[in-house]
Amino acid sequence: MSAPYIVANALGKSFNGTPVLADVSIAVEPGDIVGVLGKNGAGKTTLLELLLGFTPATAGSAHLFGYESYRLPGAAKARVGFVPQQDELINQLSAADQIGVIASFYPSWDDALVLRLSREWEVDLRQRIKGMSVGQRQKLSILLALGHRPDVLILDEPVASLDPVARRQFLEQIIEVAADGRRSVVFSSHIVSDVERLANRIWILKEQRMYWQGDFDALKESIVRVHVRATHALPASLAIPNVLRLQRNGTTATAVVRDWSADLQDRLARQLGAEVEVEPLTLEDIFLELHR
Amino acid sequence: MFILKPHSGVPIYRQLLEQIRRMAASGQLPPGTELPSIRALALEHAINPMTVSKVYSLLETEGVLERNRGKPMTVAKPARTQSPLAKRVKQIEPHVEHLVLASHQLELSESDVVKALHNAWEETDERPVHRRERAR
Repeated sequence: MSAPYIVANALGKSFNGTPVLADVSIAVEPGDIVGVLGKNGAGKTTLLELLLGFTPATAGSAHLFGYESYRLPGAAKARVGFVPQQDELINQLSAADQIGVIASFYPSWDDALVLRLSREWEVDLRQRIKGMSVGQRQKLSILLALGHRPDVLILDEPVASLDPVARRQFLEQIIEVAADGRRSVVFSSHIVSDVERLANRIWILKEQRMYWQGDFDALKESIVRVHVRATHALPASLAIPNVLRLQRNGTTATAVVRDWSADLQDRLARQLGAEVEVEPLTLEDIFLELHR
Repeated sequence: MFILKPHSGVPIYRQLLEQIRRMAASGQLPPGTELPSIRALALEHAINPMTVSKVYSLLETEGVLERNRGKPMTVAKPARTQSPLAKRVKQIEPHVEHLVLASHQLELSESDVVKALHNAWEETDERPVHRRERAR
């Protein structure tokens, strides 16, 4: 396997001694689509900005394409695309002029791609940015991050203001980026259903730390709701490992379990002499359960 | 061609894996059928291309699909040798255990259950001819 594009080791950031992110270790491989989840203030934006090298780390390290993120050489910067949460468009310019400004920084700018997408996404290039809706501005910001065909595309809440049609068009574009397996995407979003479709890796931040990270399919198979139903009163101790939450009611019990494995089902059923049913959870359910 | 529900809780790769496996086994996807490209399938369902490529690779290892140089993946001819009886019986064991447990909870006797099983068996046998032929 080729070297990961992004690596962080025990990465952290404090302001005046107050940590805003602590002890994050991750790796992003070519072809990965990483979904970053977390409540407001969990540290998502800080993490993305540290990975991009916009701000120096106060603990641990972040590397992009093998270089320390904060000291990224120009040639490596040209391989990164970023869509910030708050767009950085210049109000006085038309969309076309704004595109021209950004394009002038990149020798590899793909005019044909930007023109095609601006048509498909219905971004009027003649319009002044000042008069654009939030959704139009967001689309333009995404276009600007795609135009130089970056190897790593990082997006901070890119779709919050897009309608469902525009969101789907955005998702399709992310698929196009990742389809050849040589480029990577990292995006944070509160729209869990988009993350659920696209991400093959999930990072869940909670209270300024990486609470869970890993393969998305593994997450779905690891955190489940287990229903136990018996014809007799269940014993005081159910001996279910790694329970996050348990509700019981005489002959029945429902547990949300972490690190579940399929062989536990038979073992529990025999041990308890009960019917054990495993209910898979949606990403939204998992996220909510982890925050109860 | 496939029904994928990204928000059902069952991992998308598993949904796709099981559908292709089932459709190939039942003949709904006859040997030689071309599968959509990874990119096309990912775009159609707005899912991660890696999910599709993972499924195709797993099914290739299982012998359900065949990779063809420069061409679409196709459904493979089923292997002539069926797995041994003991192995097939093993596969149905979890379902049987489940049935027995549910029967105990409903206070049904063995003969009640055998009778119900027998009826269900007869019923499936009365399905249209083409299904029966394939089952044999």
